[in-house]
Amino acid sequence: MPIAEVTNTAPQQASAVAGEQYNTGSPLLVCLPWVTADSLQNMRTRVATAFPERAALIAVAENSGAASQAQASDNIRMVDYPATSRGQVGWALTANDYLGASQLALEHGAAATLVLGAEAVSLSTEALQRLAEAVLRGEADLAIPRYTMGPQDALVSSALLYPLTRALFGISVHLPLPLDAAFSTRMAKRIAAINRPANTTASEPLLWTVAEAATTLLTVREIDAGKRTLPRPVDIDLNSLLTEVTGSLFSDIELKASFWQRARATVPAKPATQSVHSTAESGQLEDIREMAEAFRNAYTNLQDIWSLVLPPQSLLGLKKVSRVPAEDFEVPPDLWARTVYDFVLAYHLRTINRGHLLGALTPLYLAWVASHLRRSAGDDALAASHVEETAAAFVTEKPYIVARWRWPDRFNP
Amino acid sequence: MGQQIESALRQSMHRVLVVLVSFLPGVMVFLLAVVLLTALGHLLAAMAKRLLTTAHFDERLAAKETSGSPASLSDWSPSHSPTLLVSRAILWVCILAGIAIGISAFDASYSANSQLSQFLLPYLTHVLGAVLLLLFGSLLARFLSRTVLIGAVNAQLQYARFLSLGVKWLVLVLTAAMALDHLQIGGTIVELAFGILFGGIVLTLSLAIGLGSRDLVSRSIEKSIEKPAARPVDTSAFPDASEAPRSKLRHF
Repeated sequence: MPIAEVTNTAPQQASAVAGEQYNTGSPLLVCLPWVTADSLQNMRTRVATAFPERAALIAVAENSGAASQAQASDNIRMVDYPATSRGQVGWALTANDYLGASQLALEHGAAATLVLGAEAVSLSTEALQRLAEAVLRGEADLAIPRYTMGPQDALVSSALLYPLTRALFGISVHLPLPLDAAFSTRMAKRIAAINRPANTTASEPLLWTVAEAATTLLTVREIDAGKRTLPRPVDIDLNSLLTEVTGSLFSDIELKASFWQRARATVPAKPATQSVHSTAESGQLEDIREMAEAFRNAYTNLQDIWSLVLPPQSLLGLKKVSRVPAEDFEVPPDLWARTVYDFVLAYHLRTINRGHLLGALTPLYLAWVASHLRRSAGDDALAASHVEETAAAFVTEKPYIVARWRWPDRFNP
Repeated sequence: MGQQIESALRQSMHRVLVVLVSFLPGVMVFLLAVVLLTALGHLLAAMAKRLLTTAHFDERLAAKETSGSPASLSDWSPSHSPTLLVSRAILWVCILAGIAIGISAFDASYSANSQLSQFLLPYLTHVLGAVLLLLFGSLLARFLSRTVLIGAVNAQLQYARFLSLGVKWLVLVLTAAMALDHLQIGGTIVELAFGILFGGIVLTLSLAIGLGSRDLVSRSIEKSIEKPAARPVDTSAFPDASEAPRSKLRHF
């Protein structure tokens, strides 16, 4: 069931494309990561169940050892990835994953490509079906899953990735850095054209497909994918992971500045609500107290660095936050939005070393997490409401980043 | 007596004038070389800028650079324009060439086997080296102090600022000692003072880290003992290992 959609194509054109794609006998390409022989057999059965009428190609990483044991059937055929295009399991799809899948899709003329991440076996057959069908029916060029998650899951996405993607690119997708995705031939062509990982220096470069789709006027749809086991990042150091992800996103935002600076119709923003005083659970309150204390320590020590990036108004806001007791600790959504925008701008202007800049963002992010814990109080609905409120603040504050991007000196502290 | 004084003064005045007369042409030659080469640099830079702008150099380079590339030529360029970078590089190469030519011309016209020139010219290069050392050292000190500060704050160390200041002064003291040694000022006194200061800072930092980490280690041991009984870790949620108390938080 689609739960969010942003259509950049005219409906008539979209339906014409839909009919054209769905009626052809082009196969469905399913790209799997490294899997065991049992998992591969399981996935084959589920693909056959989900798409009984359609020919399917299953690609598995060569070194998995499972590919050689798999047997071909009438409808399902095994194919190999291009050399070194798919690495070991990761916590999100990387540029190499997309590139390998798109090359295969174009090579085999696949109508739709389903790229699955680590622990894909935990994804339900219905979720696989919904993702692929959204593309096969021409309803979307890129289908991104939305998993059922708790209030304390995917916090970086909730705090940064989702609000920024929604505000700047006008696409309301809660996991812009997904673990699974389905895309059309048009999207595969786009990915193959833009992505050249050979020239990049990062070990696992990320690709912001949602932003790519937005800038090329392709249709994106968010699909309810139910529960899924989420793999753990190999690098468990929050600072380095956050630096890598935010750095990649900020670079992408910088690259697409000409797109998001134009006035665009965005998803209607939910008005900011009054501060809600939720009571966190006692265990959570201990965590919040600790995080609030860490923020106070950061505020005391990092003021000099923050003052190079943030205007006096934001610094004053942070000062107020640092003085609030843990029971009422909250980073207001509008302050958080402006702070992130200031960091995006400083990244663009190279105000300070980029590594230092992104490192200085970590305590602020953890302060937002503390606010989120307090506001959500362990409740899914309250957590979702806080995330939406944060995203709405990013939309409301978008003119701020547009103005500062154009005239950075006007606001300089 | 008066005649002798007058004669001595005249001789002194004569020597001063001789030195001045031999010194001024050298200065003139130096200035002329710098001005000429600067003018030539401006001319060449303007020509290069016009040529590259006509050839759409910036656009071509941007098209060749990858979207996800963390660093590109335009990132290092003023106003993100590689054309501007190339033209300014040409200008500064010419200015530096002018200075080098000027110094050698000055040296040729002024040497005259005078003890002053034999001492002053090599010393000028030492001064230049010392200035560069100080500049590089202060930049490095600022970079390292920020790195340490941010790293320590993210590791939630209470003495982050102190640690950062320690590293900054460590580098600055080292730089100052190197600069003084380069200028051959102070001799062994500088070496001795540097050894005492450097050792003192290192000892202070070691004590600070040791004393500060004592609580950190004891807290960590206490948590590792108490955690299994008090708060079981939900392994299915894949907690962030660096966030031990916040066992249920998933940042990614």
